[in-house]
Amino acid sequence: MTSLIDRYVYTALRRVPEQQRTDIDRELRASIDDAVDARVENGEPRDTAIEQTLLELGDPDVLADRYADRRQVLIGPDLFPVWRRLLLLLLSVVLPIVVGVVVVVTILDEGAFGAVIGAAISSALTTAVHMAFWTTAVFAVLERTGVARSSLRTAWTPADLPKYEPGSQTAAQLAASVVWPVLLIVVLVLQQFTFTDEPVLDPANWSFWWPFLIVVLVLECVYAVWVFRRGAWSHTVTLVNAGLAVLFWGPVIWLLASHNFFNPEFIAGLDWGTADPLGWLTTVCVIVAVASAVYDVVEVAVKADRSRRGIPARLAGTGIK
Amino acid sequence: MTMDGTLAGHLQELRRGTVVVASLTVLRTPGYGYSLLETLSAAGFEVEANTLYPLLRRLEAQGLLTSSWNTDEARPRKFYRTTEYGDSIVAALRSEWTRLDRAVSDLDTPGSTP
Repeated sequence: MTSLIDRYVYTALRRVPEQQRTDIDRELRASIDDAVDARVENGEPRDTAIEQTLLELGDPDVLADRYADRRQVLIGPDLFPVWRRLLLLLLSVVLPIVVGVVVVVTILDEGAFGAVIGAAISSALTTAVHMAFWTTAVFAVLERTGVARSSLRTAWTPADLPKYEPGSQTAAQLAASVVWPVLLIVVLVLQQFTFTDEPVLDPANWSFWWPFLIVVLVLECVYAVWVFRRGAWSHTVTLVNAGLAVLFWGPVIWLLASHNFFNPEFIAGLDWGTADPLGWLTTVCVIVAVASAVYDVVEVAVKADRSRRGIPARLAGTGIK
Repeated sequence: MTMDGTLAGHLQELRRGTVVVASLTVLRTPGYGYSLLETLSAAGFEVEANTLYPLLRRLEAQGLLTSSWNTDEARPRKFYRTTEYGDSIVAALRSEWTRLDRAVSDLDTPGSTP
């Protein structure tokens, strides 16, 4: 029959590294026996003395962790900030990209509204759970091996602080806001000749609307340079930006809604089974167009308002750490 | 948190590490786990067996204690003794303790700080 002490010692030693077991076994038993004897000498019955001694030693799993000097946390304070930063980056930047790609692929592949929504939700959930799990798992291993701890934690210096300046733009932001319209112009022209056998967009609009949009896009570039050189956001900038947004997105949405946007020959060449390609493309593009227009106008309005009230905005690309 | 809870938390912070100083001091005369536990609690140190026993092994691994099995008596016991290195460590810890005590007293005495 195994005694209470045997059961306690076995349970504790189970989780202690093999090579230390014999020694700890002997030492722990001697310590328990000493404590029991002391209690018996004080007049306690032996059974009660054993029970009280083990009760004082407490949970054998905790004792084993202390003997093995095992870390009692999944991710310690050294690695926690790095873990949080990486997970936030994955969930806020990489996850939307993955979901976006999945949605586009599903639209091209099946095109049914339910299928797209389903793919978006399930891919978002699965990807998020995988990202969280694997990131945490890798950090838990790093925590236990301690391999990369010193190299992961780069010393912080004041140079890592983000820059806050009311209403100014970096050269990188200027480049981005110039490249985007130029890219659209290039795509608009090239789709007439390459990419697909039939042009994607209705060639009839080359009589007025496509050239008009190109002019508006050129104006967008001029606007970007103007804002950059001006060095500050203001209500005038908000108005000019809103005007340009209406000039660009207004015709686009109107052409989409009146089914004059896509090339009928191109639409006829699409075979999406039961789904209606024109209806589908129109719905998706109108949603994207309205969302882009609203975002564009609101973003600049908010920036201008913050700038007017003197609230410094964090400069993009600074203080990433 | 109640006042008692706050005090208990701060006391625990303050006492952390004192068990090491006490153990290394006591074990300049060889002793085994249970005897040390008794000595410490008689001296007013609130230390639990499940903290002390693993701590002794850790101090031994750090070279501050050395151990040997005494099988002369009916019950074999592992005796620990403070090494020379352990002695120098505990001397440093105790001089730091004295310095902190003096520093706190100085802060408490008005006009004594420049």
